[in-house]
Amino acid sequence: MKPRVAFFDFTGCEGCQLEVLNFNLEIVDLIGAVDIVEFREASSDHSDDYDIAFIEGSQTTDRDVERVQKIREKAKILVALGACSCTGGVNALKNRFSMEENLKVVYGDSAKLYSTIPTRPTSAYVKVDVQIHGCPPNRNEVISLVKCLLTGKKFEQCHNPVCVECKLAENICAFERGEFCLGPITRGGCNAVCVTGGRKCWGCRALVDEPNVNSEKEILKKYGLTMDDMMLQFKLFNGALEVSK
Amino acid sequence: MRKITIDPITRLEGHGKITIFLNDDGSVANVYLQIPELRGFEKFCEGRPVEDMPQITQRICGVCPEAHHMAATKALDDMFHTEPTSTAKKIRELLYSAFYVTDHTTHFYILGGPDFIMGPDAPVKDRNILGVIAKVGMDLAGQVLNTRKENHWIIQAVGGRQIHPVFGLPGGVSKRISEEDRQKIEEIAKRDVAFAQLSLKVFGDIVLKNKAYVDMIVSDAFTHQTYYMGLVDDKNKVNFYDGKVRVVDPAGKEFVKYSPHEYLDHIAEHVEPWSYTKFPFLKKVGWKGFVDGRESGVYRATPLSRLNAADGMATPLAQAEYESMYSTLGGKPVHHTLATHWARLIELLYAAERLLELAQDKEITGPNIRNIPTSKPTEGVGIVEAPRGTLTHHYVADEKGCIKKCNLIVGTTNNQAALFMSVKKAAEQLIKPGQDIPESLLNQVEMAWRPYDPCMSCSTHTLPGSMPLEITVVDSGGNTVRRLSR
Repeated sequence: MKPRVAFFDFTGCEGCQLEVLNFNLEIVDLIGAVDIVEFREASSDHSDDYDIAFIEGSQTTDRDVERVQKIREKAKILVALGACSCTGGVNALKNRFSMEENLKVVYGDSAKLYSTIPTRPTSAYVKVDVQIHGCPPNRNEVISLVKCLLTGKKFEQCHNPVCVECKLAENICAFERGEFCLGPITRGGCNAVCVTGGRKCWGCRALVDEPNVNSEKEILKKYGLTMDDMMLQFKLFNGALEVSK
Repeated sequence: MRKITIDPITRLEGHGKITIFLNDDGSVANVYLQIPELRGFEKFCEGRPVEDMPQITQRICGVCPEAHHMAATKALDDMFHTEPTSTAKKIRELLYSAFYVTDHTTHFYILGGPDFIMGPDAPVKDRNILGVIAKVGMDLAGQVLNTRKENHWIIQAVGGRQIHPVFGLPGGVSKRISEEDRQKIEEIAKRDVAFAQLSLKVFGDIVLKNKAYVDMIVSDAFTHQTYYMGLVDDKNKVNFYDGKVRVVDPAGKEFVKYSPHEYLDHIAEHVEPWSYTKFPFLKKVGWKGFVDGRESGVYRATPLSRLNAADGMATPLAQAEYESMYSTLGGKPVHHTLATHWARLIELLYAAERLLELAQDKEITGPNIRNIPTSKPTEGVGIVEAPRGTLTHHYVADEKGCIKKCNLIVGTTNNQAALFMSVKKAAEQLIKPGQDIPESLLNQVEMAWRPYDPCMSCSTHTLPGSMPLEITVVDSGGNTVRRLSR
């Protein structure tokens, strides 16, 4: 029997699903190997039979949290897809303000009708089996994950920093161009696509395992930058790190 | 009025959920649509370095990140008082044209077009991309996929990434276009032009040669007389990337033409106590409620609106199609909402022609891609035409170069009031006192809002193109009398 796969979207831009499903022919082949179970709130009572659940987006209300917990109960494998689910992504920028303030800015006097909670990674609420980082994720990484799931192999995410892939791509170092690049401490797997595009790494793939702290300090020193400068940059996609501890 | 609680930030809850409230006699009192409202971003951005804005704001939407990226980059030009180089402007517009080709193609064939291609009475199971393939044939379907793929490649090659590009910088762009890539882009653009022409032919054959369809387009059920907005160049031709915002009145006469900096003089936002979304309107006309006509400040900003607001198209093939549409539908402006699908195809042709022009421009591969800003950022406004309406980004920086204030008027938001009106009018056709509410309400309502292509996540992420839609009808006592969904 084909594995039954479900996509659940929470707060986000849906770019993850678009990146994956953008009529990529390889994806079409893979779709043939699995059953995509469509899930809608409207029909939730009847479509809870799935093996693999992809979680896209952040949980930003208490109801979201309950929902992701229910999904966890049903799913054999739960995948956090993309930055919003893995780290909270840009949604966590709101954690810098009180939730009341956030609601008031958006809804004014009607703010009391609404509720929101600080953004945290999905792993703060449920056990996450696999993380696919990135905003959006690299589609080849998603393809390789699905292949692993189909064949029962263990999926390994990239353990090198972006810097390694960037050097392989023969890019000029973004620091040399005056940019603040997070490539030295960010998890690779993206082929340093943003630096290759003429810019820098914004850290959307979160912290690499065991980042080389001493080397990062040297880089900061060399370019006259501080740890505070680095944290300002890093928090663009990773602002929920503190609350997730 | 019954209290409705809607999640403020998550888009999930909003998937095509429509609630219709009835009067005591069973007629339609009010219609509520749940459409994502992500203006929490305006708060998110506070305190972030201004250079982050093209990165942050494009995360509003994975469907049209290019539009936010571009509006934000233009706002940065303005903030840093730096005019981009001529080559940089052309590179930006080239990417933007490729983006329009993919976006309009998706809408016509996968999202909105199925209503027409399959016919208004076709069963729901056929009203999707699979039904379209069966009707138009595999060859054209293959071209649809190929067009999307090739133009996504252009976005990746020029913008650095396909979803969430990285190339926008104040004063220019981050990367040159190589001669090798230029040649590829030129070939793709030629295929895009042919594809757009073919799409207009398909529309002509299937829709315009069928009297029942044409009658529906011009029927009162799908007509509203409103103001129209769109960006125009210095010759009043449609432009997606740059220019002034022109508004015409319901008679088609120019009402105002304003520069980005003047937008607050002309646009205000109405707030309804029951709603989680805001309703922009023309300040100098005033908010008169959800009504159309010259006295009401409701305006529309859609493909049809852009054509109505301009004097024509800047490229020859699109101009000929423009003239043909207006002569068929009885002159300017056209108030028939369903003609938006037609206008979108004319814009598709324009985008393809413009892409080709830019790919053949000698300057496009030039080395001079950026003017480096030399002053501190202050305040800036950037306006582009997003496929779903005029997109305005307005930022104010603090003394550290971080965002102090951010205001966004997002494409779909422009059309909120008109969208409500259109859905209500469609519902009124089918909900009559003392009569059962028919299943066809779903189709009717869907056809009413599809032309606006409201940027709801549901428009894009379902495989293969079926749309989750739920309509709840509530009587004056607060009881649910009918629930239709798919």
